[in-house]
Amino acid sequence: MSSAHAIATPHAATLLAPSATGIPNGKLGMWVFLASEVMFFTGLIGAYIVLRMGHPAWPGSEGHLSVPIGTVNTLLLICSSTTIVLALAAAARGAMAAMRGWLLATIILGSSFLVIKGFEYAAKFSHHILPSTNLFWACYFTLTGFHALHVLGGILFNLWILAYTAQAASWSTRGHRLELAGLYWHFVDIVWIFLFPMLYLFN
Amino acid sequence: MTGGHAASVRLYWIIWGWLAGLMLLGVVLSELNVLPISTRGIVTIVVALSTIKAALVALYYMHLKADRRLLALIILAPLLLIALALGVLFSSALVRL
Repeated sequence: MSSAHAIATPHAATLLAPSATGIPNGKLGMWVFLASEVMFFTGLIGAYIVLRMGHPAWPGSEGHLSVPIGTVNTLLLICSSTTIVLALAAAARGAMAAMRGWLLATIILGSSFLVIKGFEYAAKFSHHILPSTNLFWACYFTLTGFHALHVLGGILFNLWILAYTAQAASWSTRGHRLELAGLYWHFVDIVWIFLFPMLYLFN
Repeated sequence: MTGGHAASVRLYWIIWGWLAGLMLLGVVLSELNVLPISTRGIVTIVVALSTIKAALVALYYMHLKADRRLLALIILAPLLLIALALGVLFSSALVRL
């Protein structure tokens, strides 16, 4: 077998083989990517803290953000973190039907989060609240907008993994990516764990 | 389901309970003013609760607790930079006061 062919049809054992670090390359790459994502969101959150601390009269949401809706959305993401780790546990014991169910539940919960966020955005726009309204809303739309894009990316990643489960051959070579999708999804959850109190509770 | 798998699934549900409970506790503390402390005190407590939740997700759901130490070091690097940045930020704020 030529090396080019070996790359074109990688075997799961090759993909999962520990590298010099003892960690599969894909997993190591995902963690390095997440470390860079931590810095990305820290830049945004840091800017928010600097602006808020330096502002003599911080405008705040002025009652235009619903804490119950934010709480429900936070609960959805916490539940989705649990369902994707349960999908990984089901995959580890070879329970494919359960794995598909938990992964589908994760996708539905993540999509519900985005739908609720969409309704929130629509309500703001209908009240003529835009990023240009004041500093608070500029920060709100920037932080939640980038986070929502990450949620969307996570949903697409999970859908991609779900598509692998339809074919045994695809799953045997690419199934390990479920763990990578899970790591990314948990990161998205962690970011929201900090954004929710910052934007909804500390007003 | 083997004993090991069953135990890990049970642990995931326990962590879910803690995450949901701590989140609701943060909402109650900040919205209902049940503690006779300043707003700054409430903010500190809620941020601490968020940090605990993030740590639970990282340690148990992302398996950092049982995984290779190198992965923890990779994610620790940006956290140290964040601590440094926040230290500079808050120390400069204290100087202004």
